[in-house]
Amino acid sequence: MAADAQARRLGPLALLVPLLLIMLGFYVWPLIQTVINSFHPYELSGIDFSRWTLENYARLADPFYLDTFLRTARISVMITLITCVLAYPVAIFITGLSKRAQALLLLVYMAPWLVNVVVKAFGWSLILSGNGVINRALRELGLIGAPLQLMFNETGIIIGLVQGHFLFVLLPLWAALSALDPRLKWAAENLGASRAQVFLRVTLPITLPALLAGAFINFTMNMAAFATPALLGGSRARVISFVAYEVNLIELNWPFGGALAMALLIATLIPIWLSRRLATMRQAKLREA
Amino acid sequence: MLLILNIAMLVFMLAPIVVVIWMSFTPGAVFALPFSEFSLRWYEASFAYPGFLNAFILSVQLGFVSALISAILSLLAAYALLRGRRVRGLELAEGLFLSPLIVPAVVFGIAMLQFMNLFGLYNTFFGLVMAHVVVITPFAIRTIQSSLSAVPIEVEWAAENLGATRASVLWRIVLPVCSRGILAAFLLAFLISFSEVTVTIFVTGPSYQTLPVRIYNYLTDQVDPTVAAISTMLIVLSIALVLVLDRLGGLVNIRK
Repeated sequence: MAADAQARRLGPLALLVPLLLIMLGFYVWPLIQTVINSFHPYELSGIDFSRWTLENYARLADPFYLDTFLRTARISVMITLITCVLAYPVAIFITGLSKRAQALLLLVYMAPWLVNVVVKAFGWSLILSGNGVINRALRELGLIGAPLQLMFNETGIIIGLVQGHFLFVLLPLWAALSALDPRLKWAAENLGASRAQVFLRVTLPITLPALLAGAFINFTMNMAAFATPALLGGSRARVISFVAYEVNLIELNWPFGGALAMALLIATLIPIWLSRRLATMRQAKLREA
Repeated sequence: MLLILNIAMLVFMLAPIVVVIWMSFTPGAVFALPFSEFSLRWYEASFAYPGFLNAFILSVQLGFVSALISAILSLLAAYALLRGRRVRGLELAEGLFLSPLIVPAVVFGIAMLQFMNLFGLYNTFFGLVMAHVVVITPFAIRTIQSSLSAVPIEVEWAAENLGATRASVLWRIVLPVCSRGILAAFLLAFLISFSEVTVTIFVTGPSYQTLPVRIYNYLTDQVDPTVAAISTMLIVLSIALVLVLDRLGGLVNIRK
């Protein structure tokens, strides 16, 4: 009887095992293996597992890789800032609509997320390329002589990723604005605040945590994006994931490719950790108050 | 002001999609603004190009197999997480299953590339399936978890009191009650696997190129409206799957 009870309580846990094995075997192990690879020297014949080294990590400080990292971070911050600035008015507008209209509009803003990244990049290239919609329209209007360079540079990446990751700032912001008690705004207006003051001193502070949460997610997604920057930035505006792709798949230098992957992982995990820290700190502050 | 900005944003968000669909029906090889003629020639061209057709078939097979594996294992795991004894390891396991959402796809793709090469799995269908199972599992498990939590535990107790075994409780009570949730998890997992690019680019060998990877490779050396036709079909497929998912209540769950 006792053994039976024991088995009944452990029973459900056994159901966990198949998925656990797959995740350990094909997810945790590959990641650990890549970390191990990154600490061994690279030889033309393959990875030299007999020696341990830090040279792959030292190489990350090379100006080329460092610059790529910094450029990627700079572009990612810019995309995040643009997205935040654009998401606010959109979210405010959506919140003011009827429930049905809200759902419909959110679905439209969701659409780009549901469309394949490769397809979106192709669409952007039809719009932004030298022979694309924008350049041809401007030329026919006689506004420009030579076509504007809108892709295969940072501009292309920024346009593509602002669109691609817009939803991840919009959704939390919309949720926060929907939860906002309208009486707070009425009270502020009654006390003589202008619309700008209401926004800056009531709406913005209350919705700031949601904005920050969305902004951090947006930033990490920008840092790690691959297909969009590869197709719209190309080899002239290399981002770190594209360089990691070249090192791993073209140079086949896995130890260094692994070090690049780990650097990218850390660069995306730190903001996530920071945003969680911020959230818990805020909660602690609220409890104190 | 807000209205104008919103309209501009909607145009911005939808422009690349609309342009792709427009292009796919254009007779010429370059994008034409005044839509003079309507043509299906690029659709014919895309079906005639074996690269796209084979890639499409591979993507469907891959999506089906990996979504099936992921949905079944996620169901078992989600049930264990819900009804299992409260132990600390359980939360750790749940965190592990959801963590592919946080680890960048590029990083996992690189890890999988190196792992598969070291263990002779590169350029195999099996390796590709496993990589996709990892990527789609967080979505499957989330969806199934929320439909499982709607099953009252009292029903299971009642069945057990009447002499049902664990297995038959799972098979005859839990499964039928959340069949919609499981179907939604399967479809969502399929959709994500079907459109996955980043991990797949790293792990596909020459003989296993999925449709998005094939399009990616095609775009890196040329641009012609054949891609527009393929892309339009992909967009239609995504919309169809999303509509079904929305019916099943699946999308609501992801948003949480």
